[in-house]
Amino acid sequence: MLARSAQGLYWMSRYLERSEFIARLLELQTRALVDRPLSEIHFGWRRIYGSLGTSPPAGDLEADHSDDYALADSFTLAGDLTFEASNPSSMRSCFAAGRENARQMRHCISSGMWTNLNLAWLDIKDLDIQDIWAREPEAFYAGMARTIKTFDGFAAATMYRDEGYQFLRLGTFIERIQLTTALVTTHCRVPEGAGDHEWTSLLRACQALDAFERVHGVERKPERILALVITDPLLQGSLLGSLTSTASCLDALGTEAGSPETAAAARRLAGRMTARVVYDWPDSSDRLSLLDEITREARDLHGLVTGAWFEYAIGEEEA
Amino acid sequence: MDASVTGNAYDLDETFHDEMYGADGAPREQCRLLDDALQALPGSELALIQDRVRRSFAEEGISFTVYGDEEAQERIIPVDCIPRILTAEEWQQIETGLTQRIDALNRFIGDVYGEARIVADGVIPADLVRGCPQYRIEMRGMRVPHDTWVAVCGTDIVRTSDGFMVLEDNLRVPSGVSYMLANRAAVKSNLRRLYRSYHVRDIGHYGEVLRDTLASLAPEQSDDPCIVLLTPGVFNSAFYEHMFLAQEIGASLVEGRDLVFDNGYVFMRTTRGLRKVDVIYRRIDDDFIDPLVFRPDSLLGVPGLMNACKRGNVTLANAPGTGVADDKSVYAFVPDMIRYYLGEEPVLSNVQTFLCRRPEDLEYTLDNLENLVVKRVGESGGYGMLVGPHATPEEREAYARGIRDDPADFISQPVLPLSRAPCLIGEHLEPRHVDLRPFVLRGRNTRIVPGAFCRVALVKGSLVVNSSQGGGGKDLWVLGS
Repeated sequence: MLARSAQGLYWMSRYLERSEFIARLLELQTRALVDRPLSEIHFGWRRIYGSLGTSPPAGDLEADHSDDYALADSFTLAGDLTFEASNPSSMRSCFAAGRENARQMRHCISSGMWTNLNLAWLDIKDLDIQDIWAREPEAFYAGMARTIKTFDGFAAATMYRDEGYQFLRLGTFIERIQLTTALVTTHCRVPEGAGDHEWTSLLRACQALDAFERVHGVERKPERILALVITDPLLQGSLLGSLTSTASCLDALGTEAGSPETAAAARRLAGRMTARVVYDWPDSSDRLSLLDEITREARDLHGLVTGAWFEYAIGEEEA
Repeated sequence: MDASVTGNAYDLDETFHDEMYGADGAPREQCRLLDDALQALPGSELALIQDRVRRSFAEEGISFTVYGDEEAQERIIPVDCIPRILTAEEWQQIETGLTQRIDALNRFIGDVYGEARIVADGVIPADLVRGCPQYRIEMRGMRVPHDTWVAVCGTDIVRTSDGFMVLEDNLRVPSGVSYMLANRAAVKSNLRRLYRSYHVRDIGHYGEVLRDTLASLAPEQSDDPCIVLLTPGVFNSAFYEHMFLAQEIGASLVEGRDLVFDNGYVFMRTTRGLRKVDVIYRRIDDDFIDPLVFRPDSLLGVPGLMNACKRGNVTLANAPGTGVADDKSVYAFVPDMIRYYLGEEPVLSNVQTFLCRRPEDLEYTLDNLENLVVKRVGESGGYGMLVGPHATPEEREAYARGIRDDPADFISQPVLPLSRAPCLIGEHLEPRHVDLRPFVLRGRNTRIVPGAFCRVALVKGSLVVNSSQGGGGKDLWVLGS
């Protein structure tokens, strides 16, 4: 298929995955606002911004950096993360970018996928944080997450299984690897440390609470939680689950690529990352460094995919 | 006639042919069922249908792009839910006339880039052809598959009390066919019973016919030629249509940067390396196709494309240089072309046109500015035009000075009493001026899907139907015989 179309599908699903991730964390956060102590709310905001690699809006905040989260009220932070057009990491910005890619690549996706996205876009494009804040904001976020999950469902059910489908999935999984890694890293790095509630909300953020309860019951030990969200092969959204799926997409695409060498390098890297999680993680004494390593490798993997299939050099350009 | 939806608001004016009602106010034979259905529905119900039809456009994202102060916006084209109906006989005339016309036009283009017999025989002045800005000297001596220069043509046809007339042949990159299909889809599903009872001819196979047409123009006959649709990109006002058609014909939607010229051939950049392209359905203007040949500052085209085209290694549809035949002065000679090449009388007439390059026409034009529409030869889309009756004396005087400075750059035509069709305005029917643009496809042979993009001037009294100027669309129903 046309390289630019493949790239459009890849970015479409990356943006939508990110948008869903933000919606999910904001759903948890707005729920926490109802009855959780301030320290936990504070922790939640830090974790969201940390996972996205951005900072809260400063400007009218007079305190020093460490107090940003405490001073800025939740309404402002939620507005920034939900609808702020100038924030490329806001839920709507990511959704708009995903939908724009879909609009340009409509001929490569099924009509059900497009309609699902476009209807949701028409619903949210003119909304403001005021419009959702007064009445159950968590329901709004849950609705957005559901829309994107429905999109995935349409894709799984209706999309022709050509390479376009593989690139779409690849976008989802590579984004998920980056987001999960960043989320867990931030979670473990917040200085005051995570309490029981924070660990539970990590499970929810990873869509792993139901699975955890089935496997381990109610005793939520951090070690078990990490094992589930990082290394459990049966959990779709675990880091290992995402890596395995990435590897299967790369296998399906094979090495018939604009740059076959780069495609082969991408497959090897995905294999190494998987091995790290399977073999290194359980015995590692420095897991944060390991996560940092995986973060770097995920960025490299994105570069290799781009270089192998989307932006490879041709003819004289190579010389 | 004065029941709920039409009421007294529907003013029949003898100056204008009404598509639905006769002069006595009774519905025309073919419109009786439609009229019955409309009379049976309260205006509020019709308004709901209208709303559903329009909403379906928004939900589908059927848009065109307009440029505002800040950013490009997706605008939804307004659609009117009341269909316009043509009888089998009316369509037959249009179909025969268009087939004849595209045949003559293709021969003309081949001729002027070849031996130029028509010029040698004195049917059309040499300077009018060679001096036309759309005449591409680079195309001299070029051969095209099946002698098809124009593969896709969107002809604007108007109706007055004198019958159908061709207003304009759009032979370069005509657009609007996606609206023809979208209008049908939306109106059909909202007027289901009526649609079924009318036995309307289907247009859903347009994509298939377009694909066949393009495939038949491939340089080498193969079962599966590589066809691409070349778009200027997402900022083009017709991007939706480009995307839509690419999907309909199963082509890749490419931009200039996706194509590479190498060793006489054109390739596209796929995920698996380069793939040879056979046919390019191009939706960008001649000027931008190839910076090596036409505009050197173009970033939209492909350097070397014309080279591959001249060698016959890739087909461009439409071929470059077809604009020479839809120039506004050359237009006046189309009836003569039909007689000259085909030995037939034109089935569809032209609008009377005065060429200001002729002294007597110039004099007539200047003397009658208040009754004429004056157009610049090279412009299109309603730009650079004077509508005499709607202009102030000062505007006319200023325009007249321009005409005297360069008469050859202007033509004039009488103001046409375009026919009107009922449109739902609020909860009532009111007449609005309409035209229609059918799409003619010509590959190995000529095919016309029985339908058209029917354009409507939604502003009361306005004669301007262009989408970029507030025009809307209507579904056009061609009845089976």
